[in-house]
Amino acid sequence: MPIVLVTILLPLVAGALLFALPREDRTVSRAVGTLVAAATFFTVLAAGDAQWSLRWLSRPFESAFHFGATPVSYWLALLLALATACAIASARIGRTRDFVAQMLLLEGTMLGLFLARDLLVFALFWDLMLLPVFFVLVGWSDHPATAWRYFTYNFAGGLTLLLATAAFGVIYGSTDVIGRPDVHLIGGWAPWIFIGFAFAFLVKTPLWPLHTWMPPTYAGLPAPMVAVVSAVQSKAGLYGLIAVASAMLPEQVHAYSGILIGLGAVSLLYGAVVALVQNDAKRIVAYSSLSHLGLIVIAIASGNAFALQGAVVYIVAHGLFSAALFLALGFVEDREGTRSLVRLGGLGLRNPRLAGALCIAALAALGLPGLAGFAGELIILIGVYQAGYVWVAIVALVAIVLASAYMLRLYQDLMNGPPRDDAPVRPDLTWVEALAIAPLLAALLLAGVYPKPLLQAPATAVSAQVGETP
Amino acid sequence: MILPFTSADWSAILPIEVLAATALLVLLADLFTGSRERPYVSICLALAGTIATAVLAAGQFGHDYAAFAGGFMTGGFTTVFEEIVLVAVAGSVILYAAVGPRPAVAGSTAIMLWSACGAMLMAGAANLMTIFLGLELLSLGLYALCAAAQRKTAREAALKYLILSSTATGFLLFGMALLFGATGSVALAALVSPSLAANPLFWMGAGMFLIGIVFKLSLVPFHTWTPDVFQGAPLPVTAFMSVATKAATLAVFARFTYAAMPPGIGERLLLPVWIVAGISMIAGNVGMLAQHDLKRLLGYSGIAQVGYILTALAGGTPLGLRYALYYLAAYALMNLGAFAVIAALSGEDEEGAELHAYRGLARRRPYLAAAMTVFLLALAGLPPTAGFLGKILILSTALSTGFVWLAALLIVGTAISLYAYAKVVRAMYGAPEDPQAPGVRPFVPLAWASVAICAVGVVVMALYPLTPSNILPLVR
Repeated sequence: MPIVLVTILLPLVAGALLFALPREDRTVSRAVGTLVAAATFFTVLAAGDAQWSLRWLSRPFESAFHFGATPVSYWLALLLALATACAIASARIGRTRDFVAQMLLLEGTMLGLFLARDLLVFALFWDLMLLPVFFVLVGWSDHPATAWRYFTYNFAGGLTLLLATAAFGVIYGSTDVIGRPDVHLIGGWAPWIFIGFAFAFLVKTPLWPLHTWMPPTYAGLPAPMVAVVSAVQSKAGLYGLIAVASAMLPEQVHAYSGILIGLGAVSLLYGAVVALVQNDAKRIVAYSSLSHLGLIVIAIASGNAFALQGAVVYIVAHGLFSAALFLALGFVEDREGTRSLVRLGGLGLRNPRLAGALCIAALAALGLPGLAGFAGELIILIGVYQAGYVWVAIVALVAIVLASAYMLRLYQDLMNGPPRDDAPVRPDLTWVEALAIAPLLAALLLAGVYPKPLLQAPATAVSAQVGETP
Repeated sequence: MILPFTSADWSAILPIEVLAATALLVLLADLFTGSRERPYVSICLALAGTIATAVLAAGQFGHDYAAFAGGFMTGGFTTVFEEIVLVAVAGSVILYAAVGPRPAVAGSTAIMLWSACGAMLMAGAANLMTIFLGLELLSLGLYALCAAAQRKTAREAALKYLILSSTATGFLLFGMALLFGATGSVALAALVSPSLAANPLFWMGAGMFLIGIVFKLSLVPFHTWTPDVFQGAPLPVTAFMSVATKAATLAVFARFTYAAMPPGIGERLLLPVWIVAGISMIAGNVGMLAQHDLKRLLGYSGIAQVGYILTALAGGTPLGLRYALYYLAAYALMNLGAFAVIAALSGEDEEGAELHAYRGLARRRPYLAAAMTVFLLALAGLPPTAGFLGKILILSTALSTGFVWLAALLIVGTAISLYAYAKVVRAMYGAPEDPQAPGVRPFVPLAWASVAICAVGVVVMALYPLTPSNILPLVR
C-alpha cells in the first residue's frame, strides 16, 4: 500500500479500532495513540513528496483522491504528527479511550486535509476535521454551548468552501489542482470564488471579527486537544490561503490585500491588548494566537515572497509553542484545578520542571532570539517592510512588545512570587509528562537556531506561486 | 371491446404483478401461521417478493419499451425509480419487526406492497391515465395504513392526509382534464407540440397539474400537512411515505418537465416551481429547528430535501437528472436508516421518536449511535457520506446551468439544518443519560440489519458515485 495512504489511514483506522478496547482502559489506549501518532511522523518523513491518486469523479468535473505532501504541507503534517503524539502521551482525562480515539481521528482527518492534492478532497476533510472537535466539545467540555459556537461558525465556513469548490470545479473542469503551479483562475467568477474560500479560511484561522468562536472553544477544550487544534487546525486556514487562494487566485489576493492586511493588523493589536487583561490562562494564549495568526495573514496577503517564507517558518513556530503552552497550562490545571491567574501563584518553587517548560514556551511566544518564533517574526517583518507596508510593520512591532508583556505576565502570575500558603503541595511533572512536552521544546530550539530547512523547502513552492524571488 | 394488448405489454409490468402477487401471498400465509411468528413470516415473505421484484425490474434496465399503447414506459429511468421504491418498501416493511400493531402486520404489509405497486406504476407512467391510476393506488393504500395504529393521532393523521391529499388529487385531475382538452390525447408525448405554447387551456392545465405535484411533494406553501401526518402515522408507514411517495411523484414530475413540454416554455412555466423549491429549502430547515419528535423532524427535513433534488432538475440537463437520481437514492438510504434507528429504539409506543430517548445513547448503544450519526451527517450533507457528494453534484449542476440563486439558497438552508441535526448528535454523545429515558430495547436483528446496510450504503455511495447513464428517453 502506498505510504501516503498509510499515513492518512493509520490514525483513522487506529482511532476506530480503539473503540474495541475495554471502555475503562487508560494505559493501552494512550500508549497505542502515542505510538500511532509517532509512527505517522515517520511515515510523513518517509513519504517525502510521494503521491498517490485514485479517480473519484469524472463529471461534472474531474476529481480524484489525490494525496501527497506539498513543500508547505510537509512541515504541517510533521508538526501535526508531533503535536498529536505529545498531546496524547500527556493526556490525563476521563474516558481516556474515547478521547484518544477522537484525537487520532482528528489527526487522520487533518493529515487528509494537508496531504490532499484535490480541492474537493480538501473540502471533504475540512468538514471531517471539525467533527472530532465537536464531539469532544460536546462530551468533555463543561459548557456545551461552546460546541454550538464552534460548530456554527466553522461549518458555515465549510459550506462557503463547498460552494466555492463547486464553482471552481465547474469553471476550471477539475479540482485536482493543489500544488500545481500552472493552475490559475481568472474571470468574472473569480472574486466570488475567492470570497467563498477566504471566508472559510479566515473563520478557521481566525481573524477579527470572525474570531468570537475561538476563545471559548480554546478555553473549553481539554488541554491535549486544544494543543493540537491551536497548533495545527488553525493553520488549515493559513495553509488554504497559501496553497489555494494565493496559488490559484493571486489577482484576487492582491485585490483584497488591503482588507486582509487591515483585518490582520486589527487582529494583531486586538488580540494582544485583550490578552493583556485576561485572567484565564488559556484565554491569554487563545488571544495571543489571534494576534500571532493575524501577523501570518498579513505576511501572506502582502504578496512578498520573503514574507511568505517567514509565514511558513512562523506557522511551524507558532504550532510548536502554542502546543507547548497549552500542554503546560493543562499540567497546571490538572494539578491545581484552576487556571485563573488570580487564584494561582508561586508554583515555580515547587514545580521547577513545569516552570521551565512553560518558561521556554512563553519565551518562544514572545519572540526571544534563538527560539523558533523569533526567526519567523523577523523574516515576516522584513518582508512586510520590503513590500512597502511600513505602518503595518510598525503595528506588528507594537504587538510584539505587547506579546512580551502578556507572556511574562502569564509566567510571573503562575510561577513566580511567594507560594500561596493555603495551597496544597503538588508533585512536579512526572517523567511521562516531561517526555511528552520535551520534543516540542527541543523542536522550538532546533528551528530557532537552524531554520534553514524550513526556509528552503517552502521557497521552491512559494516562489513558484508568487512568481517572483526576493 | 377487446383490448389490443400483447404479452409484451403484460411482461413490461411483470415486476408490478409479482409485487402485487406477493401481497396476496402474505395475506394467505398469515392464515396458516401461529400468532408468535406471524410478523416474521409476513416480513420475510414481503422481503423475498421485493427482492424478486427488484431483480425483475433490474432486468428491464436499458430495454426501452412503450407498453399499453404508450401508457407505461420501461427503461433506465423507470427501473431506477422502481428500485428506489422497492428499497423503500424493504426498508419500511422490515420496521414492522420492531414496532407497529402486531396482529395487523400481515394486512399492513400487504397494503404497503400494493401501495408500492402504485408508486412503481407512477415511475413508468407515460400518459395521464396511468399517472392517475398509479397515484390513486399509492394514496388509497396509504390512507388505510396511516389509520392502522391505535393512537388517536394516527386517526387524525389519516384524516388529514385523506382530505389534503384528495384536494391535491383534485387539482391534478382537473389539470389533466384541461391538458386533455388542449391536446385531445392523454399521452404525455402529445404535450410536446409547439402549438400548445399559445393555448390557454394548456397553461391552465399544466399549472393545476403542477400545483397537484407540488402538493404531493409537500413543498411550501402546501407543506403543513407533512409533519403532522409523519408524526401520527405508524413508523413503517412514515418511512415508506417519506421515500416512496416522494420518489414516485418526482418521477412523474421529471418525466413531465423533461419530456412532455412544448419547446421553449419550460423556463416560464416552471419558474414558480423552482421558487417554491428554494423557499422550501429554507422553510423546511427552519421548521426542523424547534422539533423534539424525530418523525416530525424528518418530515420537515424531507421538505427541504425535495428542494435540493429539484435544484438538480432546474437546469433541465440530462446530467442534472442523473444527479437528482443519485441524491434521491442516497436520500432513500439515509432516511430509511434513520427510521430504522428509531425503530430499533422503539416498542409499540414508538418512544424512539422522542428526542430524549437519544440522551446518552452513545454509552448505551454505541454502534446504533454511530450509525445514527452517519445518517444525520448524510442528511446534513457532511462527509464522509453520499449526502456530501450529492450536494456537490447538485451545486455544480445549479451553478453550471445558471441557477446560482438556488445554489445559494441550498447553502443557506443547509447551514440552518446543521443545527437541527447536530442537536440529535449532541443528545447522543453529550447529554448525561436521562433517567426518564426508555430502557435498552431488546435487540431486533432485522431492524439492526437495516441500520447496518443503510449506513454502509450511504458511505460506499460516496466513494463510488455511480450515476445511471442511459436513462433517456422518457417518452415515446
